[in-house]
Amino acid sequence: MPEGIFCNKKPIETQEELTALLGDTSGAQYYKEMKELDVDTKLLWTTIQNTCKSRIRTWLEICAHCGMCADSCFLYLVNDRDPKQVPAYKIQSTLGEIVKRKGNVDNQFMLMAMETAWAKCTCCNRCGMYCPHGIDMGIMFGYLRGLLYQQGFVPWELKIGAGMHRVFRAQMDVSEEEFVETFQWMVEENEDEYPGLTVPVDVENADIMYTVNAREVKHYPEDLAEAAILFHAAGENWTIPSQGWEQTSLAMFAGDWAACKMQVENVYAAMERLKPKRMVGTECGHAHRATVVEGPYWAGRKDGKPPVESIHYIEWLAEALREGKLKIDPERRIKVPVTLQDSCNYVRNHGLRDVAREILSYIVEPGYYREMSPNREHNFCCGGGGGFNGIGLFRPQRNKGLITKRDQILATGAELVIAPCHNCWDAIRDLEEEFEIGIKWSFLKPLVVSMLELPDHMKPEE
Amino acid sequence: MFKKILFATSATEASDHAARVAFNMAGPLGAHLDLFHVLGVPTRGFSQVVLDVKTKEEVAVDADYISWVEEEVKNYYANQLATGVDCSIKVAVGVPHREILRQAREIEPDLIILGGTTGADEDSVYKSSTGSTLQRVAKASPCPILVVNRPAASFWGGLSNIVFGTDFSKASDKAFEFALNIVTSLNCELHIFHALDISSKNMGMSMQQDEIDHKIREAYRMIRSKYVSKMKDYKNYSMNVWEGIPYIEIVKYTREKQADLIIMAHNSRKLDADGPKIGSNMEQVIMRANCPVISVNR
Repeated sequence: MPEGIFCNKKPIETQEELTALLGDTSGAQYYKEMKELDVDTKLLWTTIQNTCKSRIRTWLEICAHCGMCADSCFLYLVNDRDPKQVPAYKIQSTLGEIVKRKGNVDNQFMLMAMETAWAKCTCCNRCGMYCPHGIDMGIMFGYLRGLLYQQGFVPWELKIGAGMHRVFRAQMDVSEEEFVETFQWMVEENEDEYPGLTVPVDVENADIMYTVNAREVKHYPEDLAEAAILFHAAGENWTIPSQGWEQTSLAMFAGDWAACKMQVENVYAAMERLKPKRMVGTECGHAHRATVVEGPYWAGRKDGKPPVESIHYIEWLAEALREGKLKIDPERRIKVPVTLQDSCNYVRNHGLRDVAREILSYIVEPGYYREMSPNREHNFCCGGGGGFNGIGLFRPQRNKGLITKRDQILATGAELVIAPCHNCWDAIRDLEEEFEIGIKWSFLKPLVVSMLELPDHMKPEE
Repeated sequence: MFKKILFATSATEASDHAARVAFNMAGPLGAHLDLFHVLGVPTRGFSQVVLDVKTKEEVAVDADYISWVEEEVKNYYANQLATGVDCSIKVAVGVPHREILRQAREIEPDLIILGGTTGADEDSVYKSSTGSTLQRVAKASPCPILVVNRPAASFWGGLSNIVFGTDFSKASDKAFEFALNIVTSLNCELHIFHALDISSKNMGMSMQQDEIDHKIREAYRMIRSKYVSKMKDYKNYSMNVWEGIPYIEIVKYTREKQADLIIMAHNSRKLDADGPKIGSNMEQVIMRANCPVISVNR
């Protein structure tokens, strides 16, 4: 069977297609069809010739098979040092082979490549730091995912996720109206407690344009409230765009390059429309990577930068605390052993290694902070990055992948893990469910809100 | 008085007592009962997987599953539904307190009735944030919420006798307006009660009796000026001020008055990080009372 009803080479373009695919519970039929799906070898080879540039070709060529990358990969470590989990092997046996065979691979090969690309790599890019040649397997797997997506070999949830971006310009079915309405609801819920709290929508020339993760709108709108409270308390001139508010990109996890471009251009259009001084994104790692680090290239921006200066939430928060815009009540600082989960996507891959630590220096009572080992840019992936968290088919592999993080956390003795990243937050939630090690975890926003010292005019009437 | 009642239920035994109150109330009052069940909490990042609150199993939620759960809820309440109460059923996916509040925002009920806890608050999804479903709904609810915790609290033989407990806060003023509205429209007796806290405030030092007496006189004066003055010619009331541990005194007083309902304000703005169900006076009263408790927040 060349093309299935659900599993095929055609991206999701309409809400009807989305609903139909969602109706195939757990992708049962989808994966059945995938086993029969033909590989368009001609298309594959043409795509490689057009898109596989010198960097990746060189990387594939110069790998010395030294194995230095092996110990850098948490999936290699938790899988009993299986040689098949060595990053160099994983990429050579998939992308390397496809290139070597000029795209002449079959269905079986593609199924193997799909499992390797989504269940044996989270694109955390840690291996790239340890390779003597600087070969980054994470980057190459991101590229391989694009080839697989084009051929229809993509996990069910990610085909849906990319489809959501194409239909809603958001990773979940949240419309622009629902986004604004939910934000306003959260303000109403909290305005008694924080007099004057508002959510400015589509205000031009604001100092800050704030972008979020659709899951906050859908399931955890408290996060929106907390963001509003902190901007309000800091006296910021901020706004949200009614269009272009979604910062994340499941399309990036899926390898749907065209959807990546559509999604990020939507955010950039908001920046160009509202002309804010800066964009601040929520506490999400891959959203930052998608919109701030990689997005400019998807959108073909020559300077490699978004239209306006774009920073991660922790950068704004650190600045607000440093400059005294937000004041912390020292009495309410964290007084339990606490550790920090460094997010690969903005720490290793965007250099923000000390920013969260500065925040912790303000909000944790001295003596209670414990570093994970390793940490900063050397930290391991949470175990669920790159889309791994949400893929049902690879759940057992993902759960095993959580072991590294579990043991790192246990070694710190921390009771609370601060995870300023949605993916890390989810992975740590899941590892608590899976292994019950008795920890709590949190984003930064609720913690800072709980210890805020409000100026008198912002205090509620008694 | 109550035209629309939102009954948030786990559709398990834990909600049975609340269900009895909900149906017994909606029927005679001719109210529409909006039966609302949150079937599960989204899990696994952006996946479609949901942790079913009843079975504690991970399920892949689709339209079939939702209508199956709706059918289950319908079967669970088959007897009550057979009585002809005007009732609709809705099943949702999400974090329970948030979905209950979302539904309340949509339908604007006059009252939310909360079923008992399923123990789901112990699940890992809740550990990330503070407070129980009850606390979080109570904190943000746009309308009063009625909670039934003990089986003994669920017998509802009509309303004739209501206790209003006050700490003289602003929220208590709102609770009083609500209580007055009920007693005048249903023509029942109102017992206005204040408990003078002699437990914690003095760091273990016992108050002089003169001071207690003085404070009790002061409280009576407050009741007269704050509440009695607003009751115009409504004469079917009594007022009392007792000293002790407030929640214990309220429960004792209610028992003595054989009241059918307690109305109080939920003052706490902060969610408790630990011991989600114990803490404020409100929650202690809910845990201990022999009748349903209505919490008014705004």
